[in-house]
Amino acid sequence: MTARTERGGWAALARRRLAGFVVATVAVGLAGGGPARAEPSAPAARFVDGLGQKVLAVLRDGRLDRAARLERLARLIDEATDLALVARLVLGRYWREASEAQRRDFVALFRALILKTMAERLDEYGGETYEIVGVQPVDERDSIVSTRILRQGGTPIAVDWRVRAEGGRLLLIDIVAEGVSLVVTQRSEVAEIAGRSGIDGVLAEMRRRLDRPA
Amino acid sequence: METEETGFAVAPRAIALGLLVAGLAAVPTARALEPFDPLEPVNRVVFGLNELVDVMLLGPVAEAYGELPSPVRTGVRNVLDNLSAPVTFVNDLLQGETDRAGTTFARFFINSTLGLFGLFDLAGELGHPAHKEDFGQTLAVWGVGEGPFLMLPLLGPSTLRDTAGLSVDQLLIDPWTAVAGDELRAARAGSEAVDTRHRLDPVIRDVRRNSLDPYATVRSAYVQRRAAEIRNRRPATGDPRYESIFREEEE
Repeated sequence: MTARTERGGWAALARRRLAGFVVATVAVGLAGGGPARAEPSAPAARFVDGLGQKVLAVLRDGRLDRAARLERLARLIDEATDLALVARLVLGRYWREASEAQRRDFVALFRALILKTMAERLDEYGGETYEIVGVQPVDERDSIVSTRILRQGGTPIAVDWRVRAEGGRLLLIDIVAEGVSLVVTQRSEVAEIAGRSGIDGVLAEMRRRLDRPA
Repeated sequence: METEETGFAVAPRAIALGLLVAGLAAVPTARALEPFDPLEPVNRVVFGLNELVDVMLLGPVAEAYGELPSPVRTGVRNVLDNLSAPVTFVNDLLQGETDRAGTTFARFFINSTLGLFGLFDLAGELGHPAHKEDFGQTLAVWGVGEGPFLMLPLLGPSTLRDTAGLSVDQLLIDPWTAVAGDELRAARAGSEAVDTRHRLDPVIRDVRRNSLDPYATVRSAYVQRRAAEIRNRRPATGDPRYESIFREEEE
């Protein structure tokens, strides 16, 4: 991935740390200072802000060691995210072809890889703060909460959080960092491998990634 | 010599580019945000070569560059951004974004003078943040599809549309092409490559470490990122290609 020498996608990505697996941003990016401009009227904005505050509290709690911190962040992700749905969307059209066992394996591996990425990113937190800049309804279920991650001496990173209302509660279903969606990107990776070597090939590649030391 | 080069020799190239651009309009666009990549086998080979160049040369140079004091790097970035202002200005106008063109012009004026040839982003401090436009984006605004994805040697991910746009920017729009000599242009391109690579370092590490298929990640991220730039950063809500993904479990 050599850099483009002229302006363009890559140059822009630089400042903003695309996050191949942006869910780690829940842990690292969103953790920041106060909720500068939350719109208290919108439930989705309150949900994202509440999540950000909880993540922040975990990251800033000096009494927690690394393992305890990771465990609490994992719990927050499980509570706030519809990981089963995200995994299913990432598997895309191959979800329909997958057997029950393959689906179960995929969801479990998907979660494990997100947690592994988060663990690797944990030390990168450098005092970022965030502000909520707006919320936009998409349809009767989904809305997009737009935030800006503010870094000292850096250009702000625009991160959109797609939130879905499901059974009376709100759950996170996608994160879009500077226009790059977690679901879309990973779906593209998975489709590429599944097209070559099937769903079992995808599962094998995920296991390989999981076993690799950080 | 340079002036002759750009003044005359460019004409046939411009015509060729014009034809290319006209042809692009007929090109199919990606569906469901899956990049259209008919040249994938070739692109993957080029991606591998780019990776090699990156590991052998660009990566190490960018790492050394990262050791420079941060104000020095900021200055380099500011100068490079300022040099790209004329291209942004022209493309702002071509897209009918007159307010943004005004901002670009004011930024260039302020930063080139009080900002000491662009070394300091004074205009940014004064509340006029930078943005970038290029002819690839202009073509998109004009309704030209992105065409096939291309992995360019050394330059990295692109599409047929963006490659055509880059050529138009460099050959026809960018005034520095006419003014600067080969050495200066090479110095600028080199600095741009090193600085960009340096800033991308966390992303590149992340992709190499975590992606199931780095080529697919880069391709998808590039196409999405460009779409976001063309929307001028507005969220992807309403993009039917994006929205369809979140409705498919109902099918």
